[in-house]
Amino acid sequence: MTTAPPPVREPAWSLSRSAISLWVTEGVIGSLVLGVGAALFAVFVPGDLGFPFPVLRRLVPIAAALYAVVTIGVRPWFRFRVHRWEVTADAVYTLTGWLTRTWTLVPISRIQTVDVTRGVLQQLFGLSTVAVLTASSQGTVRVWHLEADVAQRVADDLAHRAEQVRDQAT
Amino acid sequence: MRERIEQSDVSEPVARRASPLVVLLHTVTFRQARQFVPAVIPIVAATGFGGGRTTVIALVVGVTLLSLGTAALSWWRFTYADGPSSVVVTRGLLSRSVRTVPNDRIRGVEVETSVLHRLFGLVRVRIDAAAGAVAGKEEELVVDGVTRAEGDRLRAAVLTHRQAPDRADGGTEAAPAEEEFGRFDNRWLLYAPLVGSYLALPLAAVGALFRLAQELPENVRPNLGEAALASVRALGITVGGALVVLVAGSVVGAAIVNWGFRLVRRGGSLIAVRGLITRRHTELEVDRIRGATVAEGAGMRLVHAARVNALVTGLGDATRRGQLLPLGPRSEAWTLARRLVEDPGPLVAHPPAARRRRLVRATFAGLMVTVAGMLATVLAGWWWVVLVGLALTVLGIPLGRGRYAALGHATGPRSFSVRSGWLVREQVLLQHRAVVGWQVRQSFFQRQAGLATVLACVGAGRGGYAAIDMAAGDIAGFALAASEPWAATFSRPAP
Repeated sequence: MTTAPPPVREPAWSLSRSAISLWVTEGVIGSLVLGVGAALFAVFVPGDLGFPFPVLRRLVPIAAALYAVVTIGVRPWFRFRVHRWEVTADAVYTLTGWLTRTWTLVPISRIQTVDVTRGVLQQLFGLSTVAVLTASSQGTVRVWHLEADVAQRVADDLAHRAEQVRDQAT
Repeated sequence: MRERIEQSDVSEPVARRASPLVVLLHTVTFRQARQFVPAVIPIVAATGFGGGRTTVIALVVGVTLLSLGTAALSWWRFTYADGPSSVVVTRGLLSRSVRTVPNDRIRGVEVETSVLHRLFGLVRVRIDAAAGAVAGKEEELVVDGVTRAEGDRLRAAVLTHRQAPDRADGGTEAAPAEEEFGRFDNRWLLYAPLVGSYLALPLAAVGALFRLAQELPENVRPNLGEAALASVRALGITVGGALVVLVAGSVVGAAIVNWGFRLVRRGGSLIAVRGLITRRHTELEVDRIRGATVAEGAGMRLVHAARVNALVTGLGDATRRGQLLPLGPRSEAWTLARRLVEDPGPLVAHPPAARRRRLVRATFAGLMVTVAGMLATVLAGWWWVVLVGLALTVLGIPLGRGRYAALGHATGPRSFSVRSGWLVREQVLLQHRAVVGWQVRQSFFQRQAGLATVLACVGAGRGGYAAIDMAAGDIAGFALAASEPWAATFSRPAP
């Protein structure tokens, strides 16, 4: 799929496969909401209005259907192939995104807090997110959708190691 | 961790109150009483005061008494104590709040003197105690209305992280030698009309004036006939007058804010003093300075002017407090920036693909408008949309070129630098140790062009500074050369 080599190497480990199910579920929910909106638009906007409306009446359902296909059928698998994470001897490293990719690298010595969060949907699939916070508002690294026990182990390990190597420089 | 020698003879920190004079000050400014105004208005409206002189006087006296009462109460309820390891502030009219800030969390102290404060011989001390990624006004302790000597003692005591001797000594024994870093030359005020933020000052004033003019009764307003307004001469005079007001206003505004600006280094801190009406005294710890930004707006570039800000970890309200040179010649700005951070050398330009990308992005909006305009011409006969679109597209070309010309990065043995921006071109000098993380972003189009954007995450300033559209292959090397060895993760093969 990709033409050029990535700018930096990929982290080693992929996410739990349950993440795909989670993303599909999210896609279904999002598509349903959008579908209801599109249906309301088609029902309540009268057909005899001026210029943009006849075009919109045809475009809106098509756009909604396209969104549903992409978010349910394509994006979860695409994301799963892209998303990766790794904890090395001195850093936490993640790769996220699908069209726009983001690699984030945070050294363990600069970690300030480690959070484990579980959203409602995540609980359904037994997943957790590990968020690693630094002194920078933009230097937060999130490892999405790990199995709950893995996430807890990673968080404990990171917090423990950060305690040992933390330096005062922020 | 800094060593702290515990002195055995240090007594328990005493809770101090602000000077009682602050009660008068706050009565005059209705500082506490102001918050009751929303509650009082409906009461007044409900009881239905008629007009009449007596009610007005009663109202004025009542409000003043209320103000006096609340000011006195909040003075009585407010105490602060600067101990050997932390500062404790207790306050609250009805609900009490006690805030304790450890000394090693304190990032800066600002002493502020408004005109009224000066009349009473008082100062306001702001203690900046930002912690981590959380931002907001809550990160600040304000001790309002202490005497000047007490303000200086508090500042010294808090910043040196040690209990100053007793108040009688003044607490400034063996003051370290001062070294002047910079001094504002009043000629630099002439740059002000070319700086957006100073131009905004008179604009706001003019806006307020117009609103006032609208409120004036009909017979007081000068009667400008429509014919007079329509004449070219009147228009010329109005525009010329407005320009003069704008230029003069921005110079005056800049003078008020920056009058007598002086930056000195005393021991381990940088001290900036400035202001004509409200005197501000800002103190930053040199140890916590991680870098500096040199910013040049589009107008400032015409006259080679620049502005310098320090990047200090955990400093709240950094754009104002971190200012080390509010306005001055570029050469002066660079001399100052280089004194704080080692210069990593000349910038490396970004690849030609970055120029194409900047041009495409700058002209894209114009092209879209043009296409939409063609549709609109066919469907609705709005031919002027096409013209607007074409004009935007043509204007986009110099913009894109300018934005590309601003891009650059450089790495040195202890520091690195990135530059970007057209409206405000900003070059950031950062120490290697400043980086607390890297973020590499590559969009679909950047991937096709072999580019990527790398963001250095920093616990100071905006939180992140980006090198936009670098060659994708250079990123790993740049990150390693610009921070500490952990950044090798980007290139080291996966285990």
